[in-house]
Amino acid sequence: MLSIILLPESPAMRFVTPGAAIAAAIVAASGSASAQEGTWALTNARIETVTHGVIERGTIVIRDGLIVAVGPSVTVPSDARVVDLTSKTVSPGLIDLTSTMGLANATQPAGRVAAPAPAPTPAAGPIGLEPDRTIADELKLSGAEVKSTRDVGITAVLVAPNRGAFRGMSALVPLRDSAGTSRVLRSPVALHMGFQGVGSGFGGDYPGTLLGVIAYERQAFYDAQRLGLMLDRYRAGQRGMARPEYDARLTALVPVVRGAMPVFFDANNENEIRRAVREAKEFDLKLVITGATEGFRALDALAGRPVVVSVNFPKSNEVTGWTYHWMMQHAPNDSAAADRAARSLIEGNAATLHRAGVKLALASGGTRGSDFLSNVRKAVTAGLPRDVALQAMTIRAAELVGMGEALGSIEAGKIANLVVSDGSLLGDSARVRWVFVDGVRYEVTAPAPAAARAAAAGGVATAQVAGTWSLTINSPQGAQDATLVAAQDGTNFSGTMTSAAGTAPVADGQVVGKAVTWTISITMGGQSVTISFTGEVDGNRMTGSAQIGSFGTAPFSGDRKP
Amino acid sequence: MSPPRDTAARVRKDTARTARDTITRAPRGDTAVLAAHIPPAARLVAITNATILTASHGTIEKGTILIRDGKIAAVGSNVTVPAGAQVIDGTGKYVMPGIIDAHSHSAGEAINEGTRSVTAEVRMSDVIRQDGAGLYRELAGGVTALNILHGSANTIGGQNVVVKTRWGLPVDSLIFKGAPPGIKFALGENVRQTNGSPPPGRARRYPFTRMGVEQLLRERFTAAQAYRTQWQSYEKARRDGKKGEVAPIPPRRDLQLDALVEILEGKRLVHAHSYREDEILMLLQVAKDFGFKVASFQHVLEGYKVADELAAAGSGGSTFADNWAYKLEAWDAIPYNATLMADRGVVVSINSDSDERARRLYQEAAKAMHYGGASEEAALRMITLNAAIQLGVDKMTGSIDVGKDADLAIFSGHPFAPASRVEMTLIDGRTFFDRRTAPTLESQMQQQRRVRAVTTSNGGAQ
Repeated sequence: MLSIILLPESPAMRFVTPGAAIAAAIVAASGSASAQEGTWALTNARIETVTHGVIERGTIVIRDGLIVAVGPSVTVPSDARVVDLTSKTVSPGLIDLTSTMGLANATQPAGRVAAPAPAPTPAAGPIGLEPDRTIADELKLSGAEVKSTRDVGITAVLVAPNRGAFRGMSALVPLRDSAGTSRVLRSPVALHMGFQGVGSGFGGDYPGTLLGVIAYERQAFYDAQRLGLMLDRYRAGQRGMARPEYDARLTALVPVVRGAMPVFFDANNENEIRRAVREAKEFDLKLVITGATEGFRALDALAGRPVVVSVNFPKSNEVTGWTYHWMMQHAPNDSAAADRAARSLIEGNAATLHRAGVKLALASGGTRGSDFLSNVRKAVTAGLPRDVALQAMTIRAAELVGMGEALGSIEAGKIANLVVSDGSLLGDSARVRWVFVDGVRYEVTAPAPAAARAAAAGGVATAQVAGTWSLTINSPQGAQDATLVAAQDGTNFSGTMTSAAGTAPVADGQVVGKAVTWTISITMGGQSVTISFTGEVDGNRMTGSAQIGSFGTAPFSGDRKP
Repeated sequence: MSPPRDTAARVRKDTARTARDTITRAPRGDTAVLAAHIPPAARLVAITNATILTASHGTIEKGTILIRDGKIAAVGSNVTVPAGAQVIDGTGKYVMPGIIDAHSHSAGEAINEGTRSVTAEVRMSDVIRQDGAGLYRELAGGVTALNILHGSANTIGGQNVVVKTRWGLPVDSLIFKGAPPGIKFALGENVRQTNGSPPPGRARRYPFTRMGVEQLLRERFTAAQAYRTQWQSYEKARRDGKKGEVAPIPPRRDLQLDALVEILEGKRLVHAHSYREDEILMLLQVAKDFGFKVASFQHVLEGYKVADELAAAGSGGSTFADNWAYKLEAWDAIPYNATLMADRGVVVSINSDSDERARRLYQEAAKAMHYGGASEEAALRMITLNAAIQLGVDKMTGSIDVGKDADLAIFSGHPFAPASRVEMTLIDGRTFFDRRTAPTLESQMQQQRRVRAVTTSNGGAQ
C-alpha cells in the first residue's frame, strides 16, 4: 500500500502529533505562510469521494488547481509536496448556494439574515426589480468574510441578493483570498427571485406588497415571452419590421421564460413554496426552490423538483406557518413544549424531504461560521442520512449550478476544492484543518465563534443590547412609544416589547457588530402584523427603522434607561 | 327511517383511525395530518327531525335533509333516510344554509396594494392563506363561504376570490370552484387618501377628490376599450392570414386591462366599496356609459337614499347592520338601511368586513328584523341567499334546496335567538366544525403538537 514517497522526517518528529508534524513538514518544505499553491500529494487519507464511495486509505494528487489522480494506490509525482494525512478525512469542498457575500450594503436590501444596514438610505433605483443585475460585476469580497466562511469547509458560494422580486443573476465564486471577478467559477448561474416588494405601502413604489409582487412578476414574464418572439422575428428578417425596443431588464428575462436560464426562487414557508411552484408552472420556468424551511408541509408541491434547503432554522416563535403562528401566541404559557415540538419538525425538514424523494442541496441560508455545520449535524440527527447530507453540500449543489462535471466530488479532472478534517466532516468532533481551493491550500486557524461573527461583521465587537430601552417609532400615524426589554446571549437576544398595542415577545433578536435586528408580531385591526426592526446600537443610543408588515417603514430611535 | 346513531362517537372513531393512518403512511404533506381532524364526508348524510330554515321556501318543522355526495338530495318533512346513511339527529336543532360573508379580508396575506390607485392586475387568490384562526372562528360561527376582497385603498383594487371555509385543508382547497371572478372598486375617502398623509418627500397619490376618482375610472375604461379593439384587430388579422404568410405578432398582454375588459364583457363582477349617495350615483353612471353592471355596492351606507336607482340598475347592496358615523362619509348611515333598500327591491346582504363580526353574522342579520321589521326569512337571506346572488354562486349555495351544495349550519336554537350557538358546520356535506367532537382551537393545537412529535420521531427512525 505504501507505494508513495514520504517526506524525509527527522527522528524527533515521530513523537509529535500528526497534525503538528504535517504543519511542520509543510513549513519546512515551502517556508511560506498559510496559502500555498503547487503540486500536492495527499497520502494515507480517508477520502470521501461522494460519487465513488469512501477510500479508507488513499492518495489525491493535485496539479495546477485540478485533481489529477485519486485512489488507494496512486503514484506520487516526484515534484509533489507530500502531506501524510493519516487519520484525516478529505471531503469535497462544500458549496453554499445561499450567500450574499461581497455585495455592497448600499445595493443590498437588508434581509432577515444578512448583515443589516443601519438605516435605510434611499436607493438610486428600485431594488429588487433588476433581473439584469449581474452579481459577478459588483462583487467586493472582504478577506475576513472569505476566510471565516472557508474555515468552515465552504470552498465556493453562489452569491445573490436575498431580498426583492427580481434580484439579479447570481455568480458562483471560489473562496480564495484573492477572489476577484476574474476567478468567478460561473456567471450568470441563475435568476434569483423572491416575494419582496420594493418599498413601503404608504405612497411607496409599486409593487409594495405580496399582491403587487406576484402580479408584477407575472406581467414581466408575459412581456418577456412577447419580447422573445419579436427578437426572433427581427433576427430572422429585419427588413420591413420595426425593431423591438431595447429593454435590458426584459431581455434578461427572455432566456428565463424559455427555460434556458434557471430560476432560484427564495420560498420558505408552505404557501410561499406553493406560490413559487404555481408561478413556475404558469411560465414553464426551470425552477429551483431555495430556502424551503417549511418544505415538509409542501411535499406534494416539491415532489420531483430540485430544492436548496436552508439549515438556517427559523426560531420556533417565528411566523413561518400556522404551527409557529399558534405557538407564538401561546408561547408565554408553554414555550418549552412548543419549542421542542417545532424544533423537531424544522430540524427534520431535510430528512422529510429526502424521504419524500426530493433531490436536495443543503445550504447555509445565511447561517454564519460554525453554526452552518452544526445545524447540518442537527439535520442529520433528525434523520437525514449522513452521506446524503454530504452529497447535498457538494455534488448535488454543484449539479444545480451546472458545475457537476467540475466540482462537488473527489474525482480526477475535477477542480481541487477539498476539505481536510480530523474525523468525518459531519462527525460531532470534526475539526477542519486545511481547505484547498483551486489547489491552493489554506490553513484553518480555528477562531472562536464569537470572533468569527465579529469578523463577518467587519471586525466590530458585538454591541450590548441587554437592558430596558425607551424607543419612539415615528409611524405615518404619528409617534408611538414602545419599551424594549432585552436579555442578550452572545449574538442573540430575547425579551419583550410593550407599546399601545400590548406586549409582544421579541423574535429572532440578533446582534451583528453594532447592527441589531428583531421582529415582533402584534394584532392590528384583527390582522396579525409582523414588525421587523433594524437598528444600530451606539452606546446607550439606538436608531433604525421598522418595517410594519406590508404597511411601510417607520424610523425609530431611543435610549437605554439607566 | 333508520334510528339516529351516536354520531359523536362514530366521528371520534373515524378521526382517530384517520390520524393513525396518516402517521403510518408518512411521509406525507403536513396538511394530511391536519385533515385527519376533519372526518371525511360520508357518501350519504341525513340531518333528521330538525327545524329547517331554507331561506328560499320557508321553514320546515321536523324536517329531514338528505345529502348525497356533498349535494342536497332531498329536503322536507317526509324524506326517507336510506340505509347506511350517516345520521345527524337534529331534534331540537335549527338548520340554516351556511352563512356567506360578502365582504371579508380573512385569509389574505396582503390586503392593499396601495402603491397605485389602479391595481386591477393583482389577485387575492395569489395571497390567500389557510392558517389563520379567523377562518376557524368563522366556521364556528356557521360561515361557509367568504368573499375575500382587496382593501379599499385603490379606485380599482385587486381581483377578489370567493372561498369556502375549509379550514384545515391545504390552501388551494379553500377556493370556491365555479364562483365567477370579481374585482374590488372603491370610492370616497379611502381612495382619495383623505385620512392620512404620505411619508415626507413623497407626493400625494392621485386622485385627491371624488372628481378625480371618476376621471380615473373613465380613463381606464377608455383604455380598456382601445385595448380590446387592438386584440380584436389582431384576432381578425390572424384569422384572415393566408397560409405561408408570417403570423402577426400579438399585442402586449396587459394583465390590468385584461381584467377591465372582462368587466366590460360582463365576465367579472364589480364589488364597489362606497358610502355616499353622490359617489354611488357617479359609479352607476360610469357603469352605464361603459355598458357594465355593478354587481354589488359594498357598505353602501347611504343606499337607502338611492335604493330605486340601485334596484333599477340591478346592483346589490351589501351593508353593515348598524355602523354609523364612524367617519365623516359615514355620517348619514342609519340602521334601517338594509330593510329600506330591500323594501325597494334591492338584493341586500349584511357583511362583516371584520374577522370579529364574521363570527356572529346571524346576530347581525337579526338586527334587520329589529330595525325596519324585515321578515325572518328576508333577514336570513341577507346572510345567505342574497349574498350568494351578489357573488354569482346562488345556483350552488345560499339556500337549502335540492341540487345545491350541502353547506349548512346547525344551531342549538333559532339562529336569531340570543343564546343560540352553532353546533355543526357542514361544507359539501363534510363536517368541518362540530362543537361536540371538534377540539377547541386550544386543544386542537395541543393535538397538533403531539401528532407532529410522533410523526417526526417515527419518521426519523425509519
